[in-house]
Amino acid sequence: MDFILQQVITGLSIGSILLLVALGLAIIYGSMGVINMAHGEFVMLGAYGAWALNSVFGLDLLSSLVFIFIGVGAFGWATERGVIRFLYARPLDTLLATWGIGVVLQQVIRLTAGGELRYVGMPEIFSGTVSILGVGVSSYRVFVFLFVAALFAATWALMFRTSFGTRLRAVVQDRNTAMCFGVNADKVYSLTFAYGAGLAGLAGALVAPLKSVSPEMGAAYVVDAFFVVVLGGVQSLFGTVASAALLGQMSGSLAYVSNDTIAKALVLLAIIVLIRFRPQGLFVTKVRS
Amino acid sequence: MSAVHLQLVDLCVSFNGFRAVNNLNLSVNKGELRCLIGPNGAGKTTALDLICGKTRALSGEIRLGDKNLTTMEDFEIARAGVGRKFQVPSVFRQLSVRENLEVALCRQPGVFANLFRRGRSGDGLEHLAEFVGLADQLDEPAANLSHGQTQWLEIALLLAQDSELILLDEPTAGMTAQETRKTADICNRLKGKHTIIVVEHDMGFVRDIGDVLSVMHQGSLLAEGTADEISANERVREVYLGSMGIHGA
Amino acid sequence: MTRVSLSPSRRSESVLNGRLQIAAYAAVCLLIFLVPLGIDDDFLLNRIARYLVLGMVAMALALSWGYAGILNLGQALSFGLGSYCMAMALKLRTVPVHTGSEGLPDFMVWNNVERLPLAWVPFQSMTFAIIAGILVPVLIAALLGWFMFRGRVTGVFVAIITLAALVVGNLLIIDLQSYTGGFNGITDLAQLELFGFEFDAYSASTYYLVATCLTVSLFACLAVTRSKAGLIFQAIRDDERRVRFFGYDVAAFKILAMSVSAAVAGLAGMLYTVVMEFASPTFLDVPLSLSIVIWCAVGGRQSLVGALIGAILIAGMQGALSESEAFLDSWTLVMGVTFVLVVLFLPNGLAGLVTLIRNRLAQSSRRSEGAALRPALAEVSASKTGDKS
Repeated sequence: MDFILQQVITGLSIGSILLLVALGLAIIYGSMGVINMAHGEFVMLGAYGAWALNSVFGLDLLSSLVFIFIGVGAFGWATERGVIRFLYARPLDTLLATWGIGVVLQQVIRLTAGGELRYVGMPEIFSGTVSILGVGVSSYRVFVFLFVAALFAATWALMFRTSFGTRLRAVVQDRNTAMCFGVNADKVYSLTFAYGAGLAGLAGALVAPLKSVSPEMGAAYVVDAFFVVVLGGVQSLFGTVASAALLGQMSGSLAYVSNDTIAKALVLLAIIVLIRFRPQGLFVTKVRS
Repeated sequence: MSAVHLQLVDLCVSFNGFRAVNNLNLSVNKGELRCLIGPNGAGKTTALDLICGKTRALSGEIRLGDKNLTTMEDFEIARAGVGRKFQVPSVFRQLSVRENLEVALCRQPGVFANLFRRGRSGDGLEHLAEFVGLADQLDEPAANLSHGQTQWLEIALLLAQDSELILLDEPTAGMTAQETRKTADICNRLKGKHTIIVVEHDMGFVRDIGDVLSVMHQGSLLAEGTADEISANERVREVYLGSMGIHGA
Repeated sequence: MTRVSLSPSRRSESVLNGRLQIAAYAAVCLLIFLVPLGIDDDFLLNRIARYLVLGMVAMALALSWGYAGILNLGQALSFGLGSYCMAMALKLRTVPVHTGSEGLPDFMVWNNVERLPLAWVPFQSMTFAIIAGILVPVLIAALLGWFMFRGRVTGVFVAIITLAALVVGNLLIIDLQSYTGGFNGITDLAQLELFGFEFDAYSASTYYLVATCLTVSLFACLAVTRSKAGLIFQAIRDDERRVRFFGYDVAAFKILAMSVSAAVAGLAGMLYTVVMEFASPTFLDVPLSLSIVIWCAVGGRQSLVGALIGAILIAGMQGALSESEAFLDSWTLVMGVTFVLVVLFLPNGLAGLVTLIRNRLAQSSRRSEGAALRPALAEVSASKTGDKS
């Protein structure tokens, strides 16, 4: 019984991190149709932000979160204004351009911060463990879980309970009509992209104490996050949650049964099959094509 | 009476529960030009979509001669002899007019047949381009054409494709009165050799070309007859009442 | 899209353009064949041969991406499979010193493999290996194409699926260490011997082998693009649905485009093994695939020769500048920035730039034609600008 509970909790923890990384990707893809290949590098920027703020200014991880969200968000805003907005008519080129941006970011970090692994310490107050139904869990993981839940609730509220969200959904439905009714579509898009990038930055900062920080760290996250988005369906925030939870549980148990390489290959094959047969995602009902 | 060429039997399709086409029965004779009219949302374009395979029928059957089109893929339906002009003119914008016409010459659609054939055959393409007034634009990319010229190009593509059954969705949209007359002229010339279905709102145009009109309403056939019979039909008047009236355009 | 003015001689002009294209392609190939005459250094010749091989892959991508609109981010998969096929055959030909007991390749001995794996056995025949080096990539590309295009997967999803397929291939090659040499790849290879000729990687003969294969595949691809199928590819790129309503089986045409592209990439992969004298998982990894896309984009995705030249220029520049590790890092940065800029401002790459300049020249010469009092003179100048392009 303990073993199963342990597995479920591990799965929840992995799932919450997956959701955190995937949320930004899902918002950008779902609302703007842009597959942001630089998303992993935005995550990486967040992690390096945490490292830099800690080692240069001595800031605690928790207090640097705000700066990281704003900083990476601003970078995302600049990316949208400087590159992506010229490419909305050419989706394939958006994919290529963001891939190029990802390469540039990796390289810039490698040249400035160095290619070696960096470590970010856990916040002191979360260094212990808590007991959940008799199972010891790192309190930092519990904190991440709760933080992601709160972040998700905030995102949902932003999308469906604020006028910004209404405007965004209007632009997603029909850009021209929305503009005719006075919605500044350009601004809505750039802010959405900035928000998605900011979320990626937060994800990077939060995973930094759990994993090592390196210029290449983004690639692994973006594959899993992409899987979450494809599985969950592009238009559905709750689909994203469901698929993150499912994948978290799966990879938690999959690690026991097979080796790492085969597990990775299987995930990729699953992505291929999923795109082919259910491009709209598992948790979305089919709509008029 | 000549033989029935196209036959739709009890055709149904629905989008999220909305019956766009509901028990539609329609038969068109070989060489006939049939006009399909009806108020907005009557299911005219959807009916064409069903015939050419853009939309799959929920139930019912579509027959062209002795071929059953109901479950065929869209490209197989085209091979079986159905050509379609879209409401929004649809041509290859990055290709030149000549190249557009070359693609539309599709009597041998197989992959390997085309791999060993030259891209420029020139078979009577100048003639076709001249016919629709695009002779001077042969090497111009289609993107540079005006809206009207694009309409003409798509009509020329259909002529090059030379299908037994031609579906025209609002061919005169955005045309001047003179161009509309020319389109009517082309339709009249094709009549007899090809079976044609035209969806139109312009009653003047319909009177110019159509022998028999079919009126659709809420996804099914409401009435059928000559232009005069249709104008006199009480139920058709009722349906059009409140919209623009059948003599409107 | 700044083409203006309609001259009555447009028909002949387009035929002329076609001839010019063939002439330009032939000139490039001739130039490639002349290179060894001016270079005495075998080491340098080997390097140039390497860039030519990479140019072939970029050209193969231009065919599927630029013409048929299929952005295959897994182009390196075909390339790598070709290179492994050649490496397996050459490995089995190594002199006994390099092989382990009972004719087993050395890395298999280290991995405690006792008998030659069944998949390796037919590679004792060089003919089989060469056919496999082309057919294996073609089959895999066709299978993947069939899987995607029968399900009408389009656009960015094609890019994602091909990329994922590449990574799966890469993971498998690394994971199946006892059959593929894992991370180290297959090294210590014999020299290729064909029709009694020995192809030493550091000799003019290998260079000419590469140049010949390049010329043949360049003109084969050119023939495909100038066939009706090539025209249909472009129509598919423009509006796939419309093509279907003319009765063409779009999926079949796309599978064809991907297969031809894979065949050329597979051939290039085999040559790469001959030139580099080893095969490694880096021949089918994501960074190489990204590089192929970059070469193709910078050279011009809609021009076969543009992509070829783009690859030779960029790979050549990288080779010349990357003596020091520090420089390699900044090079990647420069490449990334260049790539983003090209995608943004020059979607048809250098070849697009050439066309643009040519059209500007033609335009201005036509304008002067109108203004000139002596039309004969204008004709001369017009034909001159035609020659230049």
